[in-house]
Parts: sequence; structure tokens; C-alpha cells
Amino acid sequence: MKHWFDLYAVLIRSSIQSRMQYRMNFVLGTLLASLIQIAEFLMIAIILNKFGAVKGWSLHEVGYLFAVMTLSKTLYRTFASDVHHLERYLTTGELDQLLTRPMPVLLALMSQNVRLMPAELLQGSAVLYWSLHGLMSAGQITWTAVPYTLLAIITGAVILFAIGLATAAVGFWMTRINELQTLTEDASQTAARYPLVLYPSWLRSFLLVAIPVGFVNYVPSLFILRGEYGPWLILAVALLAACVLGLALTFWKFGLSRYQSTGS
Amino acid sequence: MGAMIEVCGLHKQFRTPVVKEGRFAGIRTLFTREYRLKEAVKDISFTIQKGDFVGYIGPNGAGKSTTIKMLTGILHPSAGEVKINGVDPHKHRRRVAQKLGVVFGQRSQLWWDLPVKDSYDILAHMYRVAPAEKERRLAELGELLDLKEFWETPVRKLSLGQRMRADIAASLLHDPDVLFLDEPTIGLDVTAKRSIREFLKTLNGEFGKTILLTTHDMDDIEQLCRRVMVINHGELSYEGTIEHLRDKIGLPTVIRIVFRGSYRLPAQEGARMPLQLRLDGAEGEFRIIEASSSEVLIEANRQQAKAMDILRMVGGWGEIADIHMEEPDFEDIIHRVY
Repeated sequence: MKHWFDLYAVLIRSSIQSRMQYRMNFVLGTLLASLIQIAEFLMIAIILNKFGAVKGWSLHEVGYLFAVMTLSKTLYRTFASDVHHLERYLTTGELDQLLTRPMPVLLALMSQNVRLMPAELLQGSAVLYWSLHGLMSAGQITWTAVPYTLLAIITGAVILFAIGLATAAVGFWMTRINELQTLTEDASQTAARYPLVLYPSWLRSFLLVAIPVGFVNYVPSLFILRGEYGPWLILAVALLAACVLGLALTFWKFGLSRYQSTGS
Repeated sequence: MGAMIEVCGLHKQFRTPVVKEGRFAGIRTLFTREYRLKEAVKDISFTIQKGDFVGYIGPNGAGKSTTIKMLTGILHPSAGEVKINGVDPHKHRRRVAQKLGVVFGQRSQLWWDLPVKDSYDILAHMYRVAPAEKERRLAELGELLDLKEFWETPVRKLSLGQRMRADIAASLLHDPDVLFLDEPTIGLDVTAKRSIREFLKTLNGEFGKTILLTTHDMDDIEQLCRRVMVINHGELSYEGTIEHLRDKIGLPTVIRIVFRGSYRLPAQEGARMPLQLRLDGAEGEFRIIEASSSEVLIEANRQQAKAMDILRMVGGWGEIADIHMEEPDFEDIIHRVY
């Protein structure tokens, strides 16, 4: 176990070193990502400011949902980088090479082309700080919300990783999975930045059952921000994250055994 | 001595969904239950002994790569068994990978943007090679493969020949028992090819590594391999030594004989070429395919007629000034097997 952890650290470090060979590209990418992040948040802020609270959710609360989703996603995409880009490995046959290494393919894939995401991290943290500060000043929450929130971000990253992994595993049969990823990852994550009460019940069920992104931010926030249910809710979400991860890993292993490679 | 690679009744079928035509073709293909089966490898069995140097050849699409991928644990076979030093690469992929060196000529396993030496550090971690052991092996490999000249250069800036040397060294860092080389000389110039071949010879001869080589370069095979396996349409069509392959195909040796002055053929004037002749006083026959005023071109199968017997007979026709013998080209032999 320690060996895998050390190796993962070494590979991530090399990955970042490789990327730093192109410093200009990194700086430019970070600047662009910052602009996108700011624009995205401004859009939500403008809409909410115009309409005030939506279905009983205040601006600070929506900001909270937004921030937790951003941070979970940043965590997932940083530490499991190329799981999201499996399609490239399948179409070019690059996966063959990872399979000749004496390490789990998933670990190899997770540490390839790791990208630091300072813009996303900064934006997420800033919005989270602003939201928590506002809610605390209003007396809606106390400082205990902070550790709960950190826990929610981590379990959220696990859930997003599991969804990404299961989607990627479909690629072992279909090869092309870009469209599917748009549905299970991009669109779902964007939808779950808003309180799920906004949506018709079929869509809410979809975001909780079929693709459980709702458990990343919305469900934990019911307890953390609004005191509904009880602390056990956070534990239940963590348990759910573990189950979803287990299922995704099983599916991934099964998919890998069906790997067909490409012609030479 | 013992078996290093054992393959028994290996099959691989690929299932590709039948592409529908007409309306909503894409979606209907997605949900189709019809598949087209392609048999890439059919019932292949062979054994490679410890210390062997075996060439694995065949035309494009014959199933070479598919076989190699099953041997390395990349692909799961549809049926049959593979054992690398007694271990099944599909049940224990990581354990086999630890004992295996793999070089794909078309791809590098090094870290593209990092200096060459960094890749070795990472690989040493991955294969659990102790630092002292790593230094010792790199010193050895560095000398044999001349790695020092590009030690600090990022891999992407290496020439193809340098990159291939660096890649081969990478595959040997963990001292594997078996080496799989997939077209290691592809695209290299003559000098680079030669230095790689020399190194592989040393590796097999002095270090006793078992090597399986696939290539389209018949000089590689002829100069390096003790045995060849030929695969065609997914089946092994030949397995044995190169000499035996030559004999089996029986391409003729061409002998050009130049006479000093005139000579006389044992047949009447104006006989039609080619002219089939029997040897005097020995078993066998040969053919004259061309005869000019001072030269005769003879084709003979070395299995059927000994060169000395032919020359003794031809010597009776006139005074021989010069002899030139041309053995069949190995590439032509292989072409016949395909």
C-alpha cells in the first residue's frame, strides 16, 4: 500500500514537472481558466441578485452549493486526471503501454498528465469563504459547518470520481465516450450547482439516483446549512460515496478484461 | 534450461458490432446484437526455452501484435493458455510485468518532456529497483548503449536512434528474464540498426536473456535469431531454425560460371533454355537457364545437387575462369512462406 502511494506521488510529481516545461502554456491556461471561472460565477450572481431567493434558497446558500461542487470537481480532476480522458488512450492504443507496467492501470491513468488547477481552487475557496461568512454573520450556521463542509467536499470528489470512472469504463465497449461524458459529467455537474428543488421531480430523481451528483453538494447542505435530518446524513453520504466507488471499481475491472486494444 | 514462454492452444476472437445501414443507423448499431467475429489468432502453440532468441514474423495483420499483446497480458485470450516462466500473465499481470521487458518500436515508454535520466528514476520506483542496484545497472547499460551523450536531454529532443537505445535501456532496468521487442529497428539508419543488433546479440549471448523479436526487417532475423516462427492468417505456418526454413522452401542457388575461351554444352546446338541436366556419377539434377558465348547461368537446389558435383561436371565442358554463387535472399524465402 505504501509502495503504491509513494509511486503515485512520484508519478504526479513527474507529471507536473513535465507540464512546467511549458511554463507559458501553464500561465496562459491558468489565466484563461480564471476568466472562465469569474464569468461563470458572475452569471449566477447576476441571476440570483435579480430574482432574489429562489424557492427559499438565499444567495449565500446557492453560492455554497456552487463552491462545494467546484472544489469537489477540482479535487477529482486533479488527482484522477486522465480517467476523464480514457477515450484518447483507447483510440490511440496508448493504454497498451500502461498495461505493461507492474502497477494498477487505474493508478497509472490517474497520474498521467496531472494538471494543477489554481484558478478553480481559488475561485471555489473564495466563493465558499464568502458564503460561509455571510451565513455565519446571519447566525444561520456556526463554525461546526466548516469541518462538515470539508468532509462533504472530499466525499463529493469521491462520488464525482466514481461517476467519471464508470463512464470511462463504458469506453471499453463503445470506445467513443465523449457524448456520454457530456451527460454524466459536465451537464450533471452544472445542473447540480443549483438547488435541486428548482427542477421537476423526474430530473431531481435523475440527479440523485441515476447519476448521484446531488449527493456532492445538495444533500449535505440540507444538514450543514439548514439543520434538516441530522449529522447522520453526512455519514450516510460518505457511506454512499464508498458504495458508489466500489461499484464503479468493479465495473471498471470488468471493462478492462474486455479491452480489445487497437490494430498495430 | 527450461521453458520460459509456453503457449498452448491460443485463440483470440474480436467481436465487432455489425454496422447497420439506413435510418438511425448509428443508434441501431449501438443496440445491435449482431456481431462479426474476426479470428485474429487461431490455435497457436509454441514453447520458447530460456536463453533462446526467437524471431516472430508474418505479414501485416497476420496476428503478430495480437499474440504479443496476449503474452504481455494486455489482451485476454479467447481460449488457450500462456505461461511466462510458469506464471499466467492474465491472472497475474503485474507479477509477469515485473519480470518482463517490453519495447514497442513505434512508441516510447519514456516520459516525453523529461530528461532521459528522470525516466529511469521513475521506472526504478515503479519496478522497485533499489538505488544502488539502479546505479550499477545504469552504469552498465550506459556504457553498452552510449547513453551518456544524451543523459540530460528531454526525450522529445532525441533522435530516433537515441530514443530507441534509451527505450531498450529502460526495458532492462529491472533486469527482466524475458524481453519482447516489437520492431526495434523500424525507421533507423544502417549505423543505428547495427549498434542495436550488436547490443541485442550481447544481451542474449552474454547475459542469457530470452528474447522474442517481431520485425519486418529480415536482416534482423537472419543476423540475430536462432529460430523463427512464421504466422499467417492467425496460424503458425512455420516454426524452426532459419537453415531448415531455407531448405524447406528450397529456393535455388544461382551459379554463374565464366569460361576462359570457348566451352561446349553436353546438349545439341540450339537446345531450348532452361535445360534440365542430370549429374554424372552422382545423384541429382540442375538447370541451365542461360548460356552465352563465355558464360553459363545455372540454377540448382542445394538439397538436390551438391555444388561440388555440379562444378566437377561443368569443369568438363571447358576451362573455368571464374565462379560466382548467389544464395537465395532470405527476404525471398520469407515471401514464399507468406
